[in-house]
Amino acid sequence: MIVRSSEINGPVHESADVCIIGSGCGGGASAKVLAEAGKKVIVLEEGGYYTSKDFDATEQTAYQHLYQQRAGQATDDLAVTVLQGRCVGGSSTVNWTTSLRTPDFVLEAWKRDHGIQGFSPKELDPYFEKVEQYLNIHTEPFENHNPNNRLILDGAKKLGFRASAVGRNTKDCVKAGACGLGCPFDAKKTVAITYIPDAVKRGATVFANFRATKVEVTRTTKRVSGVVFDHQTQKPKTDFIIEAPIVIVSASAINSPVLLLKSNLANNSGELGKNLTFHLTSAVLGVFDQIMYGAGGIPQSAMSDEFLNKNHDGGGFWLEAVPIYPTLAALALPEFGSMHRELLHQYPHIGATIILVKEIDSNGRVTVNDHGRASISYTLRDKDLGYLKQGVGVAARVQFAAGAKRVITLHARLTEFNSPEEIGNKLAVSNWGMNEIGLYSAHPLGTCRMGSDPKRSVVDEHCQTHDVNGLFVIDGSVTPTSLGVNPQVTILAIAEKSAEWIAGNFADIKAR
Amino acid sequence: MKAFHDRRTTRRKFLKESLFGVAFLSASKLIPTEVLLAGELSQVPKDLVFFSPREYLIFEAVAERIIGLPSPGQPSVKEVGVSSRADQFLAGADPEVQDQLHQLFTVFNAAFFTFLFDFRFCSFLNMSATDKDSYIRDWMTSKFGFRRTGFQALKRVSLSMFYTDSRSWKEIGFEGMFMPEDRK
Repeated sequence: MIVRSSEINGPVHESADVCIIGSGCGGGASAKVLAEAGKKVIVLEEGGYYTSKDFDATEQTAYQHLYQQRAGQATDDLAVTVLQGRCVGGSSTVNWTTSLRTPDFVLEAWKRDHGIQGFSPKELDPYFEKVEQYLNIHTEPFENHNPNNRLILDGAKKLGFRASAVGRNTKDCVKAGACGLGCPFDAKKTVAITYIPDAVKRGATVFANFRATKVEVTRTTKRVSGVVFDHQTQKPKTDFIIEAPIVIVSASAINSPVLLLKSNLANNSGELGKNLTFHLTSAVLGVFDQIMYGAGGIPQSAMSDEFLNKNHDGGGFWLEAVPIYPTLAALALPEFGSMHRELLHQYPHIGATIILVKEIDSNGRVTVNDHGRASISYTLRDKDLGYLKQGVGVAARVQFAAGAKRVITLHARLTEFNSPEEIGNKLAVSNWGMNEIGLYSAHPLGTCRMGSDPKRSVVDEHCQTHDVNGLFVIDGSVTPTSLGVNPQVTILAIAEKSAEWIAGNFADIKAR
Repeated sequence: MKAFHDRRTTRRKFLKESLFGVAFLSASKLIPTEVLLAGELSQVPKDLVFFSPREYLIFEAVAERIIGLPSPGQPSVKEVGVSSRADQFLAGADPEVQDQLHQLFTVFNAAFFTFLFDFRFCSFLNMSATDKDSYIRDWMTSKFGFRRTGFQALKRVSLSMFYTDSRSWKEIGFEGMFMPEDRK
């Protein structure tokens, strides 16, 4: 069953075989596997429980109810906006459906550099296949791409760059464009309408608006305590305690380390909260003669991976499209006042291409601030900055090749190109410092990284913390490197694999 | 051109740098801001939950310059209620963010700081529209990281409060998203 906080009238004290903190890709898939294995599972979700009937496809409703910090989450200096879901289903409720396997070269680096066994492409293959089948992951035929995605396919092709359709986890998609706002048609196969209901069918209980604030480890069990929030006012309503021999933290690369740091657990390595990667993202906005209407149609269905690991250094960048909702566009556009407003008057004619950098030398850190919340810092270093600059230039060229009349970057000060010839010189004199260029992340990873060496990593290859038996972390925080692709399939596959191991070794883990 | 990491400013550093200025706040209090704004203060909503009355006026003045003047027949910042919406929105923000914003409004408006940063001996609220734009631009392009962060904070709150409101959509040609027939 799924329990909303409105149904809670007093302190909650429950016990289970497994308590899972977080209901996104990591938590949701783990819940399904473990419930199907006959375990009594309790899932705690900080955000609310919503169905497609609650989604009105407006930014106001979506940001208010479905996103972390109402879509205002950012690094402490506001240089990087960090978009994450905060509801049953987590980020899968608000992502743009792109579903891709972890690249082989990334998995090879995990084995080579972090000693991780069991994660070769061949060994992960059955888990990827299972996820792809379960979520109906498929690519779209050419006629289904909206103008904003076609420009990547057309522009890249003209320049001789590799580009293709991406996998999407949808069924009977009506191309409404609201993926990032909660799908009102239930066409997107989110965790909230797939893994979670299947887990519930097998007896799992999901508590919504339950924020875990501490995990305690005793000799015989583990105790997760926290606060129940009123669904409407977001004010604390009562407390809860869940006891279970196995606890899985699946609260994301931002909030999993916060919970563990506050609980003084799993940090003998000193690596907890470190090694944050963002899949750092910026964009270029092309102004076209024709109507692009980037808010409509399938928001993300094509990509160009021509420059990912092109230099065989594990880095590089990738191009994708992005839905152009009004507020998202207003926040991304440069300048302010009349100049900003004039740029927004071009709204229906704007096509947006995002550049996602697979970091190799940049990283960040999540710590706990004085109020017990996440404090996020990030340092962009030279190699990745180089790829970011190159990516902005390439994306602008792709836009021109697809027919853009002018192309604007996300620099705070208006930086625009009226022809491809202007790109190089103008980018060379642009400022790339903090808050001088708009930067985003929807793929924070790595803060509880996996590895074979307990001195350099937080969890082992089963996602169990090196320090505490029966305490697991299963979410994007365990990836030891940036992925270079959208992470939901990777996280789901890791969850399927780890939860399967937990189910198969439950008695041993419990007895230890 | 400096690399990103050379200019990195953490929130703690932002606080520290700003506190340097806050030490001089007593000097800024010598400026008769309350007297100058007495008429306007009386128009501030009484049920504010985040802003002080003065902060409300500062934010509204900033939002009007950041969002820009509407095309004829389109809603203004006041008509959309941007400041009241921001008041409600910020009341739910992380407590640390709230502390920072209160500090930002003091530093942003006080004549002492406008002089310190830009050699203008005039509070933001008392500047002409042209000077306000120029002053905001100075924050946007400042060599001090905390001022650029401050600009971003003001820009984000202003624009998100305006463009999440459906009354702002017509001017930019957004017609709303496609919805199921029975829920249009």
